[in-house]
Amino acid sequence: MDCPVCKKGMVVLELNKVEIDHCVHCRGIWLDSGELQLLLGHKKDETIEAFASAGRVKEKPRKCPMCLKKMDKVLCGHPVAVMIDKCRKNHGLWFDKDELGKIIEEEGAGKSGEISVLLKDIFRESRE
Amino acid sequence: MWELIAANKRKSLIIFIAMGICLLTLGYCVGMAWLGPDAGFFGVLIAFGVWVVLSLISYFAGDSILLYTSNAQAVTHDIHPQLFNIVEEMKIAASLPVMPRIYIIDDPSPNAFATGRDPQHSSIAVTSGLLSGLNRDELQGVVAHEMSHILNRDISYLTFAGVMLGSIAMISQIFLRGSRFGGCSSRRYRSGGSGCGQAQLIIFIIAIVFAILAPILARIFYFALSRKREYLADASGARLTRYPSGLASALEKIGFSNIKLSSTNNITAPMYIVNPLQADGYSGIFSTHPPIQDRIKILRGMAGGASYLDYSKAFSAVKGGSGGIIPSAALSDSASVPIRDAGVEKEAPKDPKDKTRETIDLLRAVNNYAFLTCACGLKIKFPKNFAQNEFICPRCGRKHEVPSSNNVLAAAVASAIPAKPVTATAYGVSPQVYARKNVGWESFNCSGCGALLQLSPAFIGTSLACHSCGKEIKIR
Amino acid sequence: MMTMMGLILLVLVVFLLFVLSSVASIYNILVGLRNQVKNAWAQIDVQLKRRHDLIPNLVETAKGYVKHERETLENITKARSAAMGAQGVADRSKAEGSLSDAMSKFFVVVENYPDLKANQNFLALQEELTSTENKISFARQAYNDQVLGYNNKIQMFPSNIFAGMFNFRQEQFFQVENADERQAPKVSF
Repeated sequence: MDCPVCKKGMVVLELNKVEIDHCVHCRGIWLDSGELQLLLGHKKDETIEAFASAGRVKEKPRKCPMCLKKMDKVLCGHPVAVMIDKCRKNHGLWFDKDELGKIIEEEGAGKSGEISVLLKDIFRESRE
Repeated sequence: MWELIAANKRKSLIIFIAMGICLLTLGYCVGMAWLGPDAGFFGVLIAFGVWVVLSLISYFAGDSILLYTSNAQAVTHDIHPQLFNIVEEMKIAASLPVMPRIYIIDDPSPNAFATGRDPQHSSIAVTSGLLSGLNRDELQGVVAHEMSHILNRDISYLTFAGVMLGSIAMISQIFLRGSRFGGCSSRRYRSGGSGCGQAQLIIFIIAIVFAILAPILARIFYFALSRKREYLADASGARLTRYPSGLASALEKIGFSNIKLSSTNNITAPMYIVNPLQADGYSGIFSTHPPIQDRIKILRGMAGGASYLDYSKAFSAVKGGSGGIIPSAALSDSASVPIRDAGVEKEAPKDPKDKTRETIDLLRAVNNYAFLTCACGLKIKFPKNFAQNEFICPRCGRKHEVPSSNNVLAAAVASAIPAKPVTATAYGVSPQVYARKNVGWESFNCSGCGALLQLSPAFIGTSLACHSCGKEIKIR
Repeated sequence: MMTMMGLILLVLVVFLLFVLSSVASIYNILVGLRNQVKNAWAQIDVQLKRRHDLIPNLVETAKGYVKHERETLENITKARSAAMGAQGVADRSKAEGSLSDAMSKFFVVVENYPDLKANQNFLALQEELTSTENKISFARQAYNDQVLGYNNKIQMFPSNIFAGMFNFRQEQFFQVENADERQAPKVSF
């Protein structure tokens, strides 16, 4: 799969039987819907539904790497909401580098807890 | 088998001719309606021409087109030894002259189809969902069913009939669209147009009615052909494997799966082992496949043996009537055909996560991904368009060389073998593979613990164990 | 009168041609079937040979893990040499039978060696051997299917007349001595 920002091939990182796609250039990550299912189990749908739309924002819309359609900007996690991209057809979620950083910094990130724990573990050494 | 093929040919020929009559009548009507009452035979000629051209295309390129549109990828023994072996087993059982080509389709919905113009040029395609969902015996049952389609020459019949259905649909579509703006307007193409006569109008109406009816009729014929052959392929499949339960439980799993196959349409649907478009249980004259519950019941009902006679008996028990699904000539050939035992012992129940990982990795292997496992336990998979030569593990900071393409195949083999948990201390990862460069002493690092390992020029083994962590390393 | 004779002659010639061509086609069918029977028999040999080739790898891989089962491994090696040296159909089928036995014993023993069962090399070999066992039994089954078709053709009218004339003899079915071996030897892992 190609990075929606740089259009270059992303590496796949697998930990605890869950995979993420990672772009080494822009350091963003893609979380596929099937992987979210593995990670969150039956909580997957409600977790994703809970993301509030970010409304109109300045950030450039990104295209889903699977269906190549524009993705929505949504707010995930609390108390500090992080704005991420979500595919309208629910193919997955995209985190830019700094969004990823915020998710990792944020302790006990509510309903997105599992995601945060996994990402924190995978990017243990690359926090800047 | 020979009687079966011959009987098959006769029965299918009747349906086939009926479809042909549909096509030619349609051509006649359209010709008359568009070009005048004396141009009927010209229409027939055109309709026949369309069918011949499309048939030639599908005869020589049909399988490649189908495989291409389903996004099927060829696999070899190295990529999926089990699937390859199962196909070879069935090839031997069916005395097929050549090995069919084997393809995998990246689709979580479990299904399979066979294609090709004759037993010398055949292909079997299975979805990744089928591979991850079925055990060896079930997979064997499905492959046997597909092999029977090849053996009974079902594919070529379905292809030609499918093309005929396609031609009929195409001609009637063109005609109906072309005639949308009123009957006689199209007569302006005629020389010496003489207004809209009464007779011409009637012909026109008849043509429109037939253009609507023909595709429906053809579809009914086509699906009748397809349904009959599904039962027959089940029967032959059970006889080839001598193990009807394998196919039965595979059909159960496929039938209960609620994932939809993404790339199918009405014409290709009959090619699959279970109709990917059909809702559960529904079966009528518009179904390409018999109801899956009936197929399972019949296979489960084959108590005495795996011969055609046993299938026929079970068929009558389930569906009533005298059977008649197996041509009577084939029933005589069955000396007792005993059912064999299950081949696979109870498998350790697998974590669904493991199965998913395995299948996805297999598809990556087919797509030339390179695999690497960092000492910290993070697995890294590089796509073939990955541009860099080095990669720093984001988890532990170790620097890795991106594996070169010659490791790809070996890694693929490793991932295709069911990953069973290694001992508690070792990492549950695929074995490291080191490709020898044959330049005297060679050294490399263990991917499990990072220890330096050396190979002497005299080393001739195919594997070794790391001296510090005991991880197995394959040497090529 | 001449035209009448000519007509009769023509009919006779056409009839003769028809008979000749049907005899030729029956002959060709019989030859085709006999070749298929031969091929099917050769296929059994191919698979038996493949099993012989795989066994040294298996023994080599297992040696390091199953130190207490030296005897079991030696039995396999012995049975393999015996099977490779055996002459004649009866002897060979007996020798191959005892090789199958030796191997099923080994695969029962393997249960006690989790390390061996986790070895990727062994797993790959295990799949190959299971499949080869299957292929052997499917090849035997296919051979019998072919023999059945061939024998039926020889007995049926009108091919039975020409089968006798051109010396096509019925073939023997493959029989396994004991009923246990009729199925592929059950390999339990």
